[in-house]
Amino acid sequence: MTTTIDASPAAPALGEGPRAARRSIDGPALSGGLTAILGAIGLALGLSVIFGEPRQLRIGWLLPLVGVRLDLDPLGGVFVAATGAVAIAVGIYAVGYARREHWARFPLVTLPLFVAGMLLVPAAGSVTTFLLAWELMAATSLILVLSEHRRKEVRCAGVFYAVMTQLGFVFILIALVVLSAAGGGDAFTTIEANVDNLTQGPRNAIFLLTVLGFGSKAGLLPLHAWLPKAHPEAPSPVSALMSAAMVNMGIYGIIRIDLQLLAPGPHWWGLTLMIFGAVSAVFGVLQASVATDLKQLLAYSTTENMGLITLALGAATLLTSSGAPTVAAIALTAALLHLLSHAAFKTLGFLAAGSVLAATGLRDLDKLGGLARRMPVTTVMFGIAALGASGLPLGAGFVSEWLLLQSLIHAPHDSITLVALAMPLSVGAVALTTGLGIAAMVKAFGVGFLARPRSAAAEAAREAPKSMLAGMTLAAAACVVFAIAPVLLSPTLQRVLAVLPRVGGDSAGPQIETILRLPGVAGSISPGLLAAALVIAILLALALARWGRRHRPPVAVTPLWASGADSLSPRMQYTATSFAEPLQRVFDDILRPDTNVEVTHFAESQYLVERVSYRTLMADPVEQRFYTPVVQAVTSWAQLVRRAHTGSVHLYLAYGAAGLLIVLLVAR
Amino acid sequence: MSWIGKIGRVGRIVEPAPDAPEAAIVPPTGVTGSLQLRHVDCGSCNGCELEITSAFSPVYDAERFGARLVASPRHADALLATGVVTHNMRQPLLNTLKAIPEPRIVIAVGDCAVNGGVFTKGYGVVGTVGDVVPVDVEIPGCPPTPQQIITALRSVTGR
Repeated sequence: MTTTIDASPAAPALGEGPRAARRSIDGPALSGGLTAILGAIGLALGLSVIFGEPRQLRIGWLLPLVGVRLDLDPLGGVFVAATGAVAIAVGIYAVGYARREHWARFPLVTLPLFVAGMLLVPAAGSVTTFLLAWELMAATSLILVLSEHRRKEVRCAGVFYAVMTQLGFVFILIALVVLSAAGGGDAFTTIEANVDNLTQGPRNAIFLLTVLGFGSKAGLLPLHAWLPKAHPEAPSPVSALMSAAMVNMGIYGIIRIDLQLLAPGPHWWGLTLMIFGAVSAVFGVLQASVATDLKQLLAYSTTENMGLITLALGAATLLTSSGAPTVAAIALTAALLHLLSHAAFKTLGFLAAGSVLAATGLRDLDKLGGLARRMPVTTVMFGIAALGASGLPLGAGFVSEWLLLQSLIHAPHDSITLVALAMPLSVGAVALTTGLGIAAMVKAFGVGFLARPRSAAAEAAREAPKSMLAGMTLAAAACVVFAIAPVLLSPTLQRVLAVLPRVGGDSAGPQIETILRLPGVAGSISPGLLAAALVIAILLALALARWGRRHRPPVAVTPLWASGADSLSPRMQYTATSFAEPLQRVFDDILRPDTNVEVTHFAESQYLVERVSYRTLMADPVEQRFYTPVVQAVTSWAQLVRRAHTGSVHLYLAYGAAGLLIVLLVAR
Repeated sequence: MSWIGKIGRVGRIVEPAPDAPEAAIVPPTGVTGSLQLRHVDCGSCNGCELEITSAFSPVYDAERFGARLVASPRHADALLATGVVTHNMRQPLLNTLKAIPEPRIVIAVGDCAVNGGVFTKGYGVVGTVGDVVPVDVEIPGCPPTPQQIITALRSVTGR
């Protein structure tokens, strides 16, 4: 393959040129490279804003009446930087992935556009610009989800995603229009200046609408249904971008509008966020722990983590409104840190899952296995991601989950009954989420990568190409930093907290140094020292084993014990389904699995079994209970309306005339 | 707290064990009073199994002489084989013996294991345990009584 990177911008993208010209240009390299460069610019800009002066940009001619207005402050900066960092890793990865999967031109062009849209959302300084960037992000992501539109599942997921994301957009649109009307301006700065004049009615309306609208983008219950459909069907680099960067924009919206502009609200604001968050976290992780599709498992894990972040934001809001800004600052730090670490480990998770998918064509954990020998680097990468997602020490998600738990435990419980009730229940929800999260990740890693391959495709797997490995290595490095050296992020977090004074951001936050200390509450931990202790312990154990080996007889090699049988077959191994079966049994009432066991007996005797088939179908219960009736109702209404559409041009003209008449009468 | 006093008053009520039999073999682990056994049913009528169960029950309690039944041959010092060796069980018997770390011994329990018993030359029978693997200790009887089994095991554990 030729690797000429052509500097002229038009050629591969538009693809109008003759075939010979197109062949000489390396589309994947160009598209991936552009994505990575955009990401690098985003990262640099974000960091420069966090540690320097806010930046502003006005382009008056680009939009009628108001123009485009970009204001980047530290809060937007951290989101821009996170998105940029994800885009760098994904861009490099996409070079190899797009080559291996033979991407068409359309997704290749859309990938950098999608990243640009995501970078613009947190940079937007006015309602109009924000909505424009939001739509750019939504539309390009939809195009990318539909990359493999020849498959029926992809089209189904695409329709689902399109409807949900536009529904969310309607909520956001109404909320922001109300906000700008009440705030007396289009720019966020104008609104911020006038926000104190807002009465409680519009405030509540804006809060509820934004939580619903942004919550649907963040994948919060019950508006999460697009997430486990669209993420698995999208190409893996796109899944990584969507799951690690795009869902963050939902959280960004909630922080920007509700926590920065409108806060402090009444107690029920915080409580609402906490309930949304806790329910999403528990439900998401439950679905993840019974999922057998690797990418669907990761998608549900996204719902789980966004739930945890929302829970932390809710806790910060509630704690501020009940007069405990110090603890609120800890919860806010937990939310921001978890957002960043989730971006790191989820990028890595989806990229590693993409390597598996590209190498085997499989997402079904029940058919994978044995990849540790065949794809060692990918296996290590997925291991790092899984460790991060399970929230264990030395994993990327540990520090933030620890901070969240500390803030919930140390909330002052003598002031308000509501806080005294909400906090312990939240601790329970977080504990359950973390526990089940470990089960889900052990399943994904153990069943998917260890033991022996369960199918011919898994047996023939080969390691991913270099650019894919490079992309994953970058994300893994970020994971390691989050896990053992969160001290590096401390200045960033402090700058961001400083622009959120209404939710406790101006009080002294947790001191994230080599040892994490929480001011005002007793609690400290040092992930870096923990890692050092572990490394020393491993080295000591190795040295001891080496020393002890001298005194032992030589090692005897014997065949594997297979309970007397000659050999073990891969079918004897744990599968993802069997691993999750006990959990599925315990949470039967929530998960409602459709299980079917068929036993075929021999004709000679009913005591001899010829064949047993076990089938279980895990459908999303929320989707079945909540979405199916709505979809059916909409369909029946649509059928009614359809009767008016006979196909007669004359009738349509008559409709138009009648409509015009009504408008004229009304607007008389 | 009267039960503590009761323990003191009652003392040991176990019947004293009969004198230890003569050692039949050097204990495989090199220490006396410890013998981990893995049991394999090579094609037994389950009479010997009942007697082995009985020997390890609280009434006879073979464990007080250091013999224990374990679940995996990887944990075992010795193989306890019962019954004639059938065609289906020949390979599993060999596999199990291979899985026991050396030095190891094989104890054949019951007449069938020792000389074929009533199943000699049956159509599904390969032969005695001794025909398939080297046997170190034999316990005759159809089935052997728990006392016989325990005596034989004591001659190996050395206690």
